[in-house]
Amino acid sequence: MTRSFVALLVVAAALIAVPFVVVNEFYLNLASQILIYALLAVSLNLLVGYGGLVSLGHASFLGLTAYAATLLYNWGAGQVGAAIGAVVFSTLAGGLFGLLALRATGIGFLMITLALGQIVWGIAYRANNLTGGDNGLRYPARPHPFGLDIAGAPQFYWFTLAVFAIALFVIWRLTRSPFGAALQGARDQPRRMRMLGHNVWLIQWFAFVLASFWGSIAGLLYVYYNLFISPHAISLQQSAEVLLMAILGGATSFTGPIVGAVIITLVKNVVSSYVDRWNSLLGVIFVVVILFMPYGIVPGVRQLWARMRKPAKPAERAA
Amino acid sequence: MSTPALEVSSLKKRFGGLPATRDVSLSVMPGERRLIIGPNGAGKTTLFNLITGDLTPDAGSVRLFGRELLQIPTQQRVHLGLARTYQILTLFPKETLCHNVVLALLGLDPMRWNVWTMLSAKRHLYDAAREALALVGLGASADRTVAETSYGERRRLEMAMALAQKPKVLLLDEPLAGLSQEERQQVRDLLGRVPRDVTIVMIEHDMDSALAFAERITLLHYGEVIVEGTRAEVVADPRTKEVYLGE
Repeated sequence: MTRSFVALLVVAAALIAVPFVVVNEFYLNLASQILIYALLAVSLNLLVGYGGLVSLGHASFLGLTAYAATLLYNWGAGQVGAAIGAVVFSTLAGGLFGLLALRATGIGFLMITLALGQIVWGIAYRANNLTGGDNGLRYPARPHPFGLDIAGAPQFYWFTLAVFAIALFVIWRLTRSPFGAALQGARDQPRRMRMLGHNVWLIQWFAFVLASFWGSIAGLLYVYYNLFISPHAISLQQSAEVLLMAILGGATSFTGPIVGAVIITLVKNVVSSYVDRWNSLLGVIFVVVILFMPYGIVPGVRQLWARMRKPAKPAERAA
Repeated sequence: MSTPALEVSSLKKRFGGLPATRDVSLSVMPGERRLIIGPNGAGKTTLFNLITGDLTPDAGSVRLFGRELLQIPTQQRVHLGLARTYQILTLFPKETLCHNVVLALLGLDPMRWNVWTMLSAKRHLYDAAREALALVGLGASADRTVAETSYGERRRLEMAMALAQKPKVLLLDEPLAGLSQEERQQVRDLLGRVPRDVTIVMIEHDMDSALAFAERITLLHYGEVIVEGTRAEVVADPRTKEVYLGE
């Protein structure tokens, strides 16, 4: 406990120090982007890893929030009103989507989330008068939370880091909470959970709403970062990439989706300037990881580590 | 006459063309120990599934202390005092025995919607879980995962999870199946210690091993009640010998 606490402090200090080390604005902005996608992936993993509900429409909450915030701001709601209104709107949409998607589980659930994501994308793309269609919408300016100026790259990074840290802590508490235990129980033995008095459907719906809420927070950060939203940000490929982050890093672990977000965002933004076929490279990475670490990078590395420390014990299939 | 703890009347269920439950009526008084026997395919487990709501009957009614259950979802029936164990083990294999029982306790605790408190800090839940495990003789194994335990231990864990919920009506689906002689005796002793305010309905395929437990016995055959009565009456009945003991 104390050792992991020290490790956490070291990581936190390193993350806070990033803007002092990385002076190049491109890379600093990249760090902000990684944090935003890591939050989106962690929020999705509440469903995928903890709930056993694989969703292919999670980017829609990023989009719903970004569009709603922009429109509300343009209609004169102010920065605070736009932020709160957009997150509430997107979370309510999450409640509705959950209602529809949880008519099914497994592949059925995946297909419904895919369809819902495509509907959101379709509206963003087609409703020219509202969303600007393919051209997207411009968000006028970053807010001044608590009077702080976050227009500069280092300031925005610190702001994003702060939101990310709070979100991560709250989500981590959830995974260790009674509700977190019930959610994982509902994933493993839904029938038994019902017979123990748990309302499996309501547990999963509540998880869906919470996942869309944290996805909406990521969406708010997204629109503050880019000051722009277009249908491209909520395409099927985006939803698939977020899902890939969770699976590549390890959906069965809490930190896996963060690792996945780091790798995929780096490959997309950095490696792509040196390698033309970066999508293929991403595919190769994915195949190699799944081949050698079927549960993803974080659980895989943990298993390797455990094996190296006590080589006498035969390898156990970790969860 | 007081209200039966569990009353099933004219219950019917067909799977396609196959009638699993033809017309079953039975009534179990509070505190009673009822044994349901019958050969394979008699519809014993189907009857339990209809009582718990895992299956919806085609016709008939199920009442718990006079209250109609049919419109009530399974998890709500549990809150009304119903608990069951499964013939086919339905546990959480990667978790510790203790955690399995904690999930059972959470099922009836409003705290299950809490997204902020650390579950591990809820000592009283874990203490209650350990108590329930000690009751079935698994106190020393509380921190092992289900995957590391034997079949007999898992059967007793099923029992611990049901008992931990302090049910009013307990449905046991073949709790003795697959156990060694010694383990059977442990489970029988355990059942003997269950307080009298708990009504127990137990399915057993092997009549001899459960006979001592039963006060009244219901014999099911092809989805119908063939014989019902006290232990002595049912054992003496020629129809029992015909459909069951004679096979």
